[in-house]
Amino acid sequence: MTRCIQCTRCVRFASEVAGVQDLGMLGRGSGEEIGTYVEKLMTSELSGNVIDICPVGALTSKPFAFKARNWELKGTETIDVTDAVGSNIRIDSRGLEVMRIIPRLNEDINEEWISDKTRFCYDGLKRQRLNDPMIRGPDGRFKSVSWRDALAIVAEVALQVKPEEIVGVAGRLSDAESMIALKDFLNRMGSNNVWCEGNGVRPNADLRSGYLLNSSISGLEKADVFLLVGTQPRIEAPMVNARIHKTVRANHAEVGYIGPPTDFNYNCKNLGTGPQTLLEIAEGRHPFCSALLAAKNPAIIVGAGLFERKDKDSILSVVNSIAKLGNVVRPDWNGLNFLLLHAAQAASLDLGLVPESDNSIESAKFLYLMGADDVELDELPSDAFVVYQGHHGDRSVYRANVILPASAFSEKEGTYENTEGCSQQTLPAVPTVGDARDDWKIIRALSEVAGVCLPYDNLSGIRSRISVVAPNLLRVDEREPALIHTDLKPDCQQKLSTEPFSSAVDNFYMTDSITRASKIMAQCSASLLSKK
Amino acid sequence: MAFVVRSARVPPNSATFEEARQRTLEFFRKACRSIPTIMQIHNLEDVVTISQLRSTISSEIRKQAHITNPKVIDMLLFKGFEELNNILEQAKQRHHLIGQYVIGREGLVQDHRTKDQGISDFLKNFYSSNYF
Ligand code: SF4
Repeated sequence: MTRCIQCTRCVRFASEVAGVQDLGMLGRGSGEEIGTYVEKLMTSELSGNVIDICPVGALTSKPFAFKARNWELKGTETIDVTDAVGSNIRIDSRGLEVMRIIPRLNEDINEEWISDKTRFCYDGLKRQRLNDPMIRGPDGRFKSVSWRDALAIVAEVALQVKPEEIVGVAGRLSDAESMIALKDFLNRMGSNNVWCEGNGVRPNADLRSGYLLNSSISGLEKADVFLLVGTQPRIEAPMVNARIHKTVRANHAEVGYIGPPTDFNYNCKNLGTGPQTLLEIAEGRHPFCSALLAAKNPAIIVGAGLFERKDKDSILSVVNSIAKLGNVVRPDWNGLNFLLLHAAQAASLDLGLVPESDNSIESAKFLYLMGADDVELDELPSDAFVVYQGHHGDRSVYRANVILPASAFSEKEGTYENTEGCSQQTLPAVPTVGDARDDWKIIRALSEVAGVCLPYDNLSGIRSRISVVAPNLLRVDEREPALIHTDLKPDCQQKLSTEPFSSAVDNFYMTDSITRASKIMAQCSASLLSKK
Repeated sequence: MAFVVRSARVPPNSATFEEARQRTLEFFRKACRSIPTIMQIHNLEDVVTISQLRSTISSEIRKQAHITNPKVIDMLLFKGFEELNNILEQAKQRHHLIGQYVIGREGLVQDHRTKDQGISDFLKNFYSSNYF
């Protein structure tokens, strides 16, 4: 028996918000049924929202359905960290366990939707967790030790190497508090080689307009022409994509896309695959220019995947010239946008986590990975000492010498800044696993053991330190727009390579240590990605 | 019940210190001979070795080395036999043994007070828990 009352809210959601025509009404009259046509899956990254939308509970969340009663759950209003959008979510927990994640209303960011990755990744929080400090013995196996011993060893090694051989990398899920602690700690050790994953070499951290979504997520609704440069919003930031989809539906905005072939759920012109097309537009040779020039509020969205390219500066200067040509940046409208990939990126650039030298990994003797799982460790010297502080036994653990267990986003209070520059805070929903500690506490404790004690003992102390560096991070739930625009940048003479743009995210469902540990995400990628 | 009867048997008092000493050695031998059985019935192979248990027993005995009164020694021996019986009859269980004889008196929580001198309250709290 089904509870469905044929209200077709789910069908309307699928076609109007998610932009896929997968759900529909089969049969007519008393034989009416809601379903996907001919055993198809609903292949949308927003499909989970039909659960919230269904008024009678005919559509249920497969991992959550019948696992808990509503009144047993404790709701914690917090922030999602699986992408750079910072969707507002509520974590419902029972005891020590996260039972489900559902969206919270925030008209400026995620409206009332969240992506499937946000909604279903939580089973990753229970798997592969690190719960004890561990040291790799001479036989290559990890042995649990006490925090005292682990910190003593890390501090001893850190004090033995030369300051410039100390390198720190913050992971894509790091909060602002731990990043400033990491930076302060490394600075006190005499090194300034600290950065955040995904920002590439020599990131532009001076002008906030150079890395934020300047027209804001809700502001994208005003745009009438979009130019997507090397970004696939559908997999990089589904909530931003939903905004673009909404705009396209509402005012028939034109969308041009430069990048590798990908799926869009709205009409989109594929203009080309690489910088060459970009150059043509900048020089006014491309047919898309007429659309750009005719637009009232043109929006250019540049993907943060480009930050990793060698010719990044020249690409950005070409984009700048397109912006000038199309009059994209005006006092009343800033349409030059950068779409970041990871939750930690915006805050890290605000806090100035910029490496001093380009190839510090190659000369590192002491590498501190704070949840960083996607750094290239091939170049790392084999005698380097690697400390991995994190919550999941993910990629970097294979190379680590010492593991310090930390708490995940659902277990700590932390500040995150999303891609449009709005800072938000997570709240702990469940207690930490095992003997794990909050990220900033570990670094604070380590600094004391190493004899370079950091001057803060609690969150308010560390926040007053942040207020000196980036006060905007403390104005929670407020978007702090960038004030100065990119025109000030000197023109770059770097050569543009002809190499086409590559996609920044190859598997939407598995982008970080939490989602990679999740069984549901693994099943999603197996059944949904193979179809394409 | 078998073990009640066996453990209730009180031997006559030792007349001299020498006799008490003899009995102590007997107790030690008996305890050592039961170690393999204890290891087996309590499944202790993966946490401790025979020699470790043996030295634990001897150190428990040596702890009382200063006692010379045969009556007191008799009483301690009685308690020793009682304990051995309890273990063999599985009135004491695996975790009791591990707690008492494998991990030992100092326990899992080690006393770091001397090491902790001169460190901040933050670090002291940090070592004990995440919540402070
Ligand atoms: S939203 Fe629920 S009740 Fe309405 S048509 Fe869809 S399944 Fe049926």
